[in-house]
Amino acid sequence: MIGRGQGNRVSASASPLPRRPSPARRRRRLGEVALGYALLAPAVILLLVFEFYPLGLGFRISTCDWRLGCAKFVGAENYIRAFKDPDMWHALMITATYSAISVPVQLGLALLFAYLLFQRIRGMQVFRMLYFMPYITSTVASAAVWAYLFSPDIGPINKFLESIGLPGQRWLSETRGIIPLFFSYFGIQTPPWLKGPSLALLSLIIYTTWVFVGYDIVIFLAGLGNIPKELYDAARVDGASGWTLFWHITWPLLSATTFFLLLITVIGTFKAFNHIYVMTLGGPGNATTTASIYIFNQMVSYNRYGYSAALSFIVFFIILILTIIQNQVAGRRVIYD
Amino acid sequence: MRSLKILMLLTVVVLTFGAALTACTPKATPTPTAAPTVQAQAPTQAPAQPTQAPQPTQAPAQPTQAPKPTEPPKPTPVKVENPPKTAEQVDAISLEGRNVVVTYWHNRPQKDQEFLQAMFDEFNKTNPYGIIARAEIAGASYNDVYNKINAAIQAGVAPSMAVAYQNQAALYRSMGAVIDLTPFIQSKKYGLSEADLKDYFQTFLDSDANPQFKGERLGFPTQRSMEVMYYNVDWLNKLGYTEPPKDWATFEEIVCKAAQEPGKYGWAIRHDASNFASQVFSRGGRIIAEDGSAYVFNSQAGVDTLAMMQRLAANKCAVEIPVSERYGEQNRFGNGDVLFVFASSSGLPYYQQAAEKGGKFKWDIALLPYTEKPAVNLYGASISVFKTTPEQELAAWLVIKWLGETNQTARWATQTGYLPVRQSAKDIVISNFKANPVWGPVADSYAKMFDWTQYAMIEAPVAGYDPVRTLIDNELISVVITDPNADVKALLDKAVEKANQILKENAPR
Repeated sequence: MIGRGQGNRVSASASPLPRRPSPARRRRRLGEVALGYALLAPAVILLLVFEFYPLGLGFRISTCDWRLGCAKFVGAENYIRAFKDPDMWHALMITATYSAISVPVQLGLALLFAYLLFQRIRGMQVFRMLYFMPYITSTVASAAVWAYLFSPDIGPINKFLESIGLPGQRWLSETRGIIPLFFSYFGIQTPPWLKGPSLALLSLIIYTTWVFVGYDIVIFLAGLGNIPKELYDAARVDGASGWTLFWHITWPLLSATTFFLLLITVIGTFKAFNHIYVMTLGGPGNATTTASIYIFNQMVSYNRYGYSAALSFIVFFIILILTIIQNQVAGRRVIYD
Repeated sequence: MRSLKILMLLTVVVLTFGAALTACTPKATPTPTAAPTVQAQAPTQAPAQPTQAPQPTQAPAQPTQAPKPTEPPKPTPVKVENPPKTAEQVDAISLEGRNVVVTYWHNRPQKDQEFLQAMFDEFNKTNPYGIIARAEIAGASYNDVYNKINAAIQAGVAPSMAVAYQNQAALYRSMGAVIDLTPFIQSKKYGLSEADLKDYFQTFLDSDANPQFKGERLGFPTQRSMEVMYYNVDWLNKLGYTEPPKDWATFEEIVCKAAQEPGKYGWAIRHDASNFASQVFSRGGRIIAEDGSAYVFNSQAGVDTLAMMQRLAANKCAVEIPVSERYGEQNRFGNGDVLFVFASSSGLPYYQQAAEKGGKFKWDIALLPYTEKPAVNLYGASISVFKTTPEQELAAWLVIKWLGETNQTARWATQTGYLPVRQSAKDIVISNFKANPVWGPVADSYAKMFDWTQYAMIEAPVAGYDPVRTLIDNELISVVITDPNADVKALLDKAVEKANQILKENAPR
């Protein structure tokens, strides 16, 4: 704030030069800046130590033949090798398939359940809790239970299928694609290129959906709760109902929530590791070897530290690009108010 | 403005004071400069000494002083390298007053951890060097320990010693993280006597001499086990056979007969490279060439092994144990749902428990069927010592040496079901087993294994065998049990090509 007297003096002098602040004011300003930096320092130090230093070290490792240190600087060799590695491409393909199926199925089901739960049905709280429970259950424990459920010869899923006259499946142990598998029961042979995801991968997607739908429902419910009720009332007065209400009010005003869930679900599917490791270890064969599993195996089993670091950076950039694309494409259509 | 002036003035004063201090520093130098003058005096005295030089010439004139030369010459001190390269260097290490702490990472369950720590407590009280040994569980499997050690080596926090397979030790060695124990074994002061070495099972000792590192001993055995065939005696008799199959054709025939009953299978196919290796050995093949130069499991023995798996999976005579189902083969065997399982003899106590809880039938172990001569896959990890300090390395060796003594190896084998490493412990363990009502029925089976050590084969004691194991499972076993039309030979050739690439990549540099 400039004092009245000072203002007068400035106008009286009519000098074109900006007036220099007083030393006291400058000291105060300096003190404020110093305090600001001092308060920022802990967070900045934490970021530098735990975020940027590991990132920098990771990048350095990716440019080395790393054995207890940089045994040999190899530059971009690990990155070039990754692009030439058919197993890496296969792992990326598996990841993309996993993501492409998981994301719409998860979000679609979550939206459906959230919409139903929002209709003030009886026992809504119980349903909310039930749907959310898989999300808060330990991944390792629930994945182990699902692995048992999917067991080809002792698993309850196959027992049930067999009890109703359907053939049991090899689920997590099945490398064949679901399309030839499906048609083979009708004696139809499909062309070799028509495979689809393996049943093992599909089993993992079933598990993933079971776990994350509950979380997505809760977020969707929060989004639904933010839509003003008056809009529905006004639309109803105009004769809108059911699908029209959903399509013209709910869906657009839920777009910010959907966009947020889309972002984190895509990122989550690209980073998925725990349940895949517990349920299949990336097998059978390489049917469920996603990028994360592949990177882990390259590091832990093959001891290719430099190479696995390079792979991690490649996957990081893929996620980054996907996120930017989503921001550009879907982000523009989001209605925030 | 005034304060700024004061601040500047203060700064000038501080700087001037600092400068004055710096300027004063040379004044202090006269003391050091005095030193040369003192030192200079010494040389000036030196010329006086040569005047005494004639004294030696007097020496011959004083024969009575001759005894002086008889004084024992002072031993030249041995320079101890890290790690020590010779037995003499090891002898030169002193542990007195050091109270070295030795940490041992292993994969045994909690009850064995407690047993081991109790043994260590005993060692801690009795050893004359003040060594303190501590046992720590580093995971539930050898793989867990391997993963943890790999990370620990990278982080520079490896333990003093850890359980490790020969191939894992070779990998650690390629990173310069484990040491050769030969100088410690040969040390006169701390090593093993000839009698001790003869008491050890030679095949056990031989398995730790690594071909990739010119025979360096990258570990030392304190336990061993082998891949055996567990079978349900009652069921086998019911099928009309009085003894387990000795050849593969009979094995296949029995497996398919057993699977005729709904929900029952003749054999459990496991996702385990050691299972594959054991079958290759019994068909006269090898996993890697004897000199460790190339993988060779694409031989006829490899083809026959995979082809049999493929057949038995396709005609549903055998059941696959999914990767996610840990110890599924034990449970199914215990429930009486599977007739044969190929697994480690270290699982004896668990199979006993499974059969006790489940089907309550008579069971036994046998050698795997074979083509020309029996072969047995000998495993059971050794203990490797990590590069730390010569004192700590010696302390770790002394703990290992103590664990290998007859009394300790017998106790450990009785507790865990592993084989003891000394011949002198064999009878003690067998009698312990016979005296135990739980173990009684399998004591005779256990005793058989000592005879089978003569057929011992080792998988691949080379760096980088772990990824090859994954390869064998992912690209061979998993494929043939799913695809009845897969070309077994083509799969093997491709896998061997990849395996040799991994071998090259992990070769010592």
